[in-house]
Amino acid sequence: MEEKRIKVLIAKPGLDGHDRGAKVIALALKEAGMEVVYSGLHKTIDQIVNMAIQEDVDVIGLSIMSGAHIPLTRKLMEKLKEKGIQDKKVFVGGVIPSKDIKLLKEMGVEGVFPGGTPIDDVIEAIKASVKK
Amino acid sequence: MDPKAQELAERIISGDETVAARVISMIEDGEEEGFLVLSTLYPRTGGAFKIGITGSPGAGKSSIIDRLAYLYGKSGKKIGIIAIDPTSVKSKGAFFGDRLRFKSAEKVEGVFIRSMAHRGFSGGISKAAFGAECVLDALGKDIIIVESVGVGQTELSIYLISDIVVTVFTPDFGDEIQLMKAGLLEIGDVVVMNKMDMPNAEEKAKDLIAYIGDLKKDAPPFIKCSAKKGEGIELLLEVLEEKRREKLGMRREKVKALLLTFIKEELSRGIEKMVEEDPKFNEILHSVQSGKIDPYSASVHFVSELLKDGKMEDYKWRRKG
Ligand code: B12
Ligand SMILES: Nc1nc2c(ncn2[C@@H]2O[C@H](COP(=O)(O)OP(=O)(O)O)[C@@H](O)[C@H]2O)c(=O)[nH]1
Ligand SMILES: [Mg+2]
Repeated sequence: MEEKRIKVLIAKPGLDGHDRGAKVIALALKEAGMEVVYSGLHKTIDQIVNMAIQEDVDVIGLSIMSGAHIPLTRKLMEKLKEKGIQDKKVFVGGVIPSKDIKLLKEMGVEGVFPGGTPIDDVIEAIKASVKK
Repeated sequence: MDPKAQELAERIISGDETVAARVISMIEDGEEEGFLVLSTLYPRTGGAFKIGITGSPGAGKSSIIDRLAYLYGKSGKKIGIIAIDPTSVKSKGAFFGDRLRFKSAEKVEGVFIRSMAHRGFSGGISKAAFGAECVLDALGKDIIIVESVGVGQTELSIYLISDIVVTVFTPDFGDEIQLMKAGLLEIGDVVVMNKMDMPNAEEKAKDLIAYIGDLKKDAPPFIKCSAKKGEGIELLLEVLEEKRREKLGMRREKVKALLLTFIKEELSRGIEKMVEEDPKFNEILHSVQSGKIDPYSASVHFVSELLKDGKMEDYKWRRKG
């Protein structure tokens, strides 16, 4: 009964109201045995970081369909550093043009999953990132 | 005294949320370090007022907590919220959907919200919930609100870890028989009828008051509210505060029951594997499987043999089975 479980925060930053992808991912991760907190819509980066701290998640997954993935992710990475919790793994999914993936990874994002990614790939990537 | 545990405890007492959250996870995962920190913190706890909220899924527990936390927070109190959701039996995963209801609470200074999966523990809470309460208490929270899983009758453990329990009903509770079956009427120091904004709510509230009156000599306070509109929550807060002193007097009894629950759980977990490996178990199992003896008698016989042999002493204490 008492054993380490992977805990994930699926967060929707900014004004973007598309929540289907976030919910699909959240449920898939639950089915894969993870404990998943869903932030709800329209969260600020500060709120998301606060949630990640209080919930003590291993992974923060941003779901972004608005096109604002670069500035939002940059702000998140800065905040994590400021709070001293850079050990949390960050993943980004949603509408992400492939040309932006490199930049996101340079910011320290573990994995980027645009629309159409097989869910099993997401699960594998999260499990692998938490192990290391 | 373990120096690392000591340091973590001190950081929690000085208000470090990151460490508090980490230590709650350690307790959830059964890590030794977590329990060391807890034992350092424990003598410093007891100051917080612990409110449990139970009721069927969708009754509005989270919405009520949101309003209540906001009100308490406005009056300068520091709030901790622990929201417990079920662990999937199949995948062992969990989905936490309470947090997104705490929209107004989130805006109040000093609110700490933690979601926890019950991880198979009985009684509508997780085993680590009591430990989480202690950590939040040591972190300086004045009010700790725990939302139980919400499955009715079996939610007894919420009693043991709360000073006072609020049971939430809605106007669509069905009929009296349904209530009796769910066992929801047997619990609750305070009864709330939420969603009073729904049509025919007044009528249903009258019905519920009558059922409770029939069942209980001294019926608990009954409060009508609408978390949606924010009505009736002030009254709920008043009633909780009114009953606070009387309820705190029950802590000694509750902690006794909690200790017994934990002991039973530790014992069974430590011993189960040992029993399975015992040749006598296999003997008696065979007799049960071949229909020679029924499982009731077999279990009584097995345990009395175990105690007679003094064999219990051979059974080593194990934390992780
Ligand atoms: C359905 C939809 C809507 C629905 C949303 C319903 C809902 N509740 O979600 C409605 C009709 C409401 C809507 C509205 C709008 N939409 Co729209 N919408 C879509 C559409 C067609 C599909 C999105 C979807 O649900 N896909 C299904 C899910 C399961 O897939 P997904 O979201 O991509 O998620 C997958 C992956 O991305 C990944 N993933 C997602 N999140 C995460 C997170 C993590 C951590 C990980 C690891 C993976 C991951 O895993 C998922 C499963 O594989 C897309 C087009 C598209 N092809 O994406 C446009 C699209 C997203 N919408 C768009 C726009 C512009 C709008 C509107 C502004 C339109 C308008 N002018 O009014 C509004 C804005 C709404 C708002 N408030 O934000 C644009 C965005 C453009 C951009 N980014 O530059 C798109 C791309 C369409 C387009 N090509 O122009 N929309
Ligand atoms: N009409 C009405 N709906 C409410 C009220 N309180 C909560 N709800 C709704 O009931 C649903 C479940 O609420 P929630 O607080 O999540 O219930 P929980 O499962 O008991 O925690 C949500 O859709 C709420 O918006 C209320 O007072 N009136
Ligand atoms: Mg709830």
